[in-house]
Amino acid sequence: MAIARRYKTGETRVPTDSLSDIAFLLIIFFILTTSIRQITGFSTEMPAGEKKAEQQADKTPTIAVNNQTIRFNDEVVTMDALRQRLKSLRLDLKSGDRRVVMLEATGSVPYQTYYEVMAAVSAAGGVVGVVTEEKSAKR
Amino acid sequence: MKIRRRRRAELSVPVTSMGDIAFLLTIFFILTSNFVKEASIKVAAPKSPDVAALQQAPVSVVIDENSVVYVNGRRVADADAVESAVSAVLQRLRPEAQKAVVFRCDRSVDKSVFEPVLDAISRAGGTIFAVGEKK
Repeated sequence: MAIARRYKTGETRVPTDSLSDIAFLLIIFFILTTSIRQITGFSTEMPAGEKKAEQQADKTPTIAVNNQTIRFNDEVVTMDALRQRLKSLRLDLKSGDRRVVMLEATGSVPYQTYYEVMAAVSAAGGVVGVVTEEKSAKR
Repeated sequence: MKIRRRRRAELSVPVTSMGDIAFLLTIFFILTSNFVKEASIKVAAPKSPDVAALQQAPVSVVIDENSVVYVNGRRVADADAVESAVSAVLQRLRPEAQKAVVFRCDRSVDKSVFEPVLDAISRAGGTIFAVGEKK
C-alpha cells in the first residue's frame, strides 16, 4: 500500500538577491580606498658609517648646496650644468666608494633643491653621501 | 462585445550571474590594490626630470607641510622614533625581500627636519624610495 506523504516538501533556496548589492558595495569601497597610481621618484641607498673630515678622500666629488647656489667641487653651477658634470664622471661604471658623491647642505635648504640634486646624482649612477652639520662627518 | 486583454509576457533582466561578476571584481581589487594610508596628509611632492617609476614598499615615511613626521600613517615624535618604527617593520620582512622605504616629503620642508629622518631610515637599514613628480 502506498503511503502518501503528509506534507509537501517546500523548495529550499538560499536568498541570493542581495548578494550582488553587497559585492558592488565592496567594489565601491575598494575603488575609493585604494591607489592605482604608480609612484615615481628615485631610489638610493645611503652609505652607512662615519668618517671624519680629514679622512675624506680628496677626489670625492662634493656638491655644496645652500638656499641660493649649488656648487660642484667649489664651482658655482646651474642644475643643468651639474647634471652634465655628474654624467661626465661616469659613476655608473664605477663601484663601491668611488660611486659616492658627497652632498653638503648649509643653512636653510628646502627639500625641493635637495631632491633635485639627489635625483641627479642617482640618475648619473652615483650614491649620495650626506655631510651632516652637527658632527661634521659623513655617513 | 468583450475584448480580451492580451496576456503580456513577463520581462525580467537576468541577474543571476551579476553576483558572480561582482565577486570576481571584488577579489581582483583585494588582490591588486594598495591601501592609501596617508590620504589625509598634505604633501606637495618635489619635482625633478630625473625620476622613474618606483614600486610600492612595506614602509612609508611622510613629512607634511607642517614638518610633522608619519611612519605608515602614524604620527611619530622624532627621527629616533622613525628609526625604531622602520627597523621594526623591516625586521619582520623575509631576508630576501627588498628593504625599501617610501619617503615622501613636502617640497618646502627645511633640511633641519628631513635630513635627520633620511639618516634614521638609513640607520634602520632601509633603501630610500624618494617620491617626486616629473618636471
